[in-house]
Amino acid sequence: MTIKKILIANRGEIAVRIQRSCRDLGIETVAIYSEADRNALHVRYANQAYPLGGNTPAESYLRSDLIIQIAKQSGADAIHPGFGFLAENGQFADDVKAAGLQFIGPTAAAMAIMGDKLASRSAMIEAGVPVVPGSIDAVADADEARSQADEMGYPVMLKASAGGGGKGIRVVHAAGEIEAAFNTASGEAQSAFGDGRMYVEKFVVKPRHIEIQILADRHGNVVHFGERECSIQRRHQKLIEEAPSPVIDEATREAMGKAAVEAATAVNYESAGTVEFLWSEGKFYFLEMNTRIQVEHGITEEVYSVDLIAEMIKIAQGDKVDHLSGRHPRGHAIEVRLNAEDPENNFMPSLGVIDNLRWPGGPGVRIDSGIYPLMEVTPYYDSMLAKLIAYGCDREQARRRMLRMLQELHVGGVKTSAGIALNVLQSTEFIEGNYDTGFLERYMEEERHHGIGDEAPDDLEEIAAIVAAMHRQRAGKRRTVSSATNSANSWVTATRREQHARGH
Amino acid sequence: MKYFLESKSGRTFEVEVNELADEAMSVTIDGREISADFIDVDRRGQYAAVLDWCSFAASIEETDEQHLTVNIAGESFEMTAYDERERAAQSVAGQGPPKAELIKASMPGLIISLSTEVGAVLQAGESVAVLEAMKMQNEVCCQNDGVVVEVLVAVGDNVEANQPLIRLAPPQ
Repeated sequence: MTIKKILIANRGEIAVRIQRSCRDLGIETVAIYSEADRNALHVRYANQAYPLGGNTPAESYLRSDLIIQIAKQSGADAIHPGFGFLAENGQFADDVKAAGLQFIGPTAAAMAIMGDKLASRSAMIEAGVPVVPGSIDAVADADEARSQADEMGYPVMLKASAGGGGKGIRVVHAAGEIEAAFNTASGEAQSAFGDGRMYVEKFVVKPRHIEIQILADRHGNVVHFGERECSIQRRHQKLIEEAPSPVIDEATREAMGKAAVEAATAVNYESAGTVEFLWSEGKFYFLEMNTRIQVEHGITEEVYSVDLIAEMIKIAQGDKVDHLSGRHPRGHAIEVRLNAEDPENNFMPSLGVIDNLRWPGGPGVRIDSGIYPLMEVTPYYDSMLAKLIAYGCDREQARRRMLRMLQELHVGGVKTSAGIALNVLQSTEFIEGNYDTGFLERYMEEERHHGIGDEAPDDLEEIAAIVAAMHRQRAGKRRTVSSATNSANSWVTATRREQHARGH
Repeated sequence: MKYFLESKSGRTFEVEVNELADEAMSVTIDGREISADFIDVDRRGQYAAVLDWCSFAASIEETDEQHLTVNIAGESFEMTAYDERERAAQSVAGQGPPKAELIKASMPGLIISLSTEVGAVLQAGESVAVLEAMKMQNEVCCQNDGVVVEVLVAVGDNVEANQPLIRLAPPQ
């Protein structure tokens, strides 16, 4: 079949990203939007747009029945779920198909296996994919956890079977800590996922998070697109990713790629997916498979010259992927996630109106964004505003280009992760490619002692003081000359007033 | 006019600014004179500054007149800036008796839980509520010691940024 129109069941940056591939393929798009997103880019860029009502995800982007109804009403042939929201909801995938539409993503069966840590683990052991040493089934209680931990040696990880996003996970360094850790983690998992089952795993020391991108079609072909290095993360939230990884050579890439292909094959996978591995001291272990397109897919697209979203759509049409096999990475790509958060204040979400915006440009620059001037950053959705991607012939050129991008960028009105990314990219560890998943938290801890901004040349702080003084001088003069003179802030105030009048 | 600036890192600067013709200024920082040209580029917070022929693209965000953040080349500098008169007024005001504290919401969000009640004695840094926004839960803490005299919100309330949540009296 040929897909002519796609409903995108998402918002923000990823909805815009999917629309762009649709446009490239000559496919029409249908947007859906919550009340808060009426002005959003993904609504304006779409061919058709339907309101969902409400603001919270439950009132809007999670309303699967309404979304399927809109898809049918609008004449769409398929639904792309993006990531988050309904992307890994097997019931939704089944309902979409039952309504006679294509679901652009994996089958509910594959999601079910890979979405359960224990089920995926045993499927991987059966398929011969290396996993972290640990229990095969959930343990009954803290005592059983202790006896297993004693056997494999400390430190160990206690993990919730249904876990995700860092919830229900504890590192235990000694037998005496295990009971308390088991009870709190199991309780956390019970309240977060309605499933308190726990298992025990060997704790991998100083691991790197390295993942393999795959595409699988309906004809049994699975192709991999090398690795992404995602170790610059904090509480399992990634900040900077790069492809290829500084520690992976061609032989390891092929070995990991082969393992990822076997993992996907074992669950009859279809569409785009990512097999995540822990890598430590030359060994790699299956961590989990993400059954969706991922945030950081863009860096793979840059080094493999592939449009993964377009390939997902073609796979849903029944096309094959075998012609994409055997590719090698060319050059280097680095991504920085631009989040509305305050790194100096424990990464607390930063809300407000984006009252100024200056994007970088020039060679090697790609920006996947959903933001625009005067957009309000609301508390309803996650804090990612945009993804900055730098491409270079080699790693150092990509790194230098990302520094340039972050220096040219300006986002006014909310605090962002750009400043901390700028510092990390200039750290010795990043420059040498010598970092692991604990790096960012250690780095932030050191920054807390020294103060963020210490690495900035001193004269930049002096320049800032001069600029502040000159600004006050001008502002003072403006006030005395004419109190009615317009300024930047009155424009923002007017916008806020307008939003207030609309009931926000 | 002379300005006294202090950065978040604790450095202080004394800057005197005199306006010349057009957009030009003369600036003296800690006794050193430099030429300056300072232009409001977009009336939305972006500025072009040329200081002794060194060029900087700066952007400024104001919390209020005295508190601002200057961004240059991706680096952010939080500054307090007082002019001569404000500085004189400040030193006169000196230290008064301890004031009642209002604990305010740091951001808009939903009150998930409250862990205090009227009459409770709090120590600085103690958590009093959990606020949820962007799928993240954040603790609200009091800045000073005190006694809770009024709880202004309830669990389930949606609050705006800076909305008062709890009124504290100074400790007895």
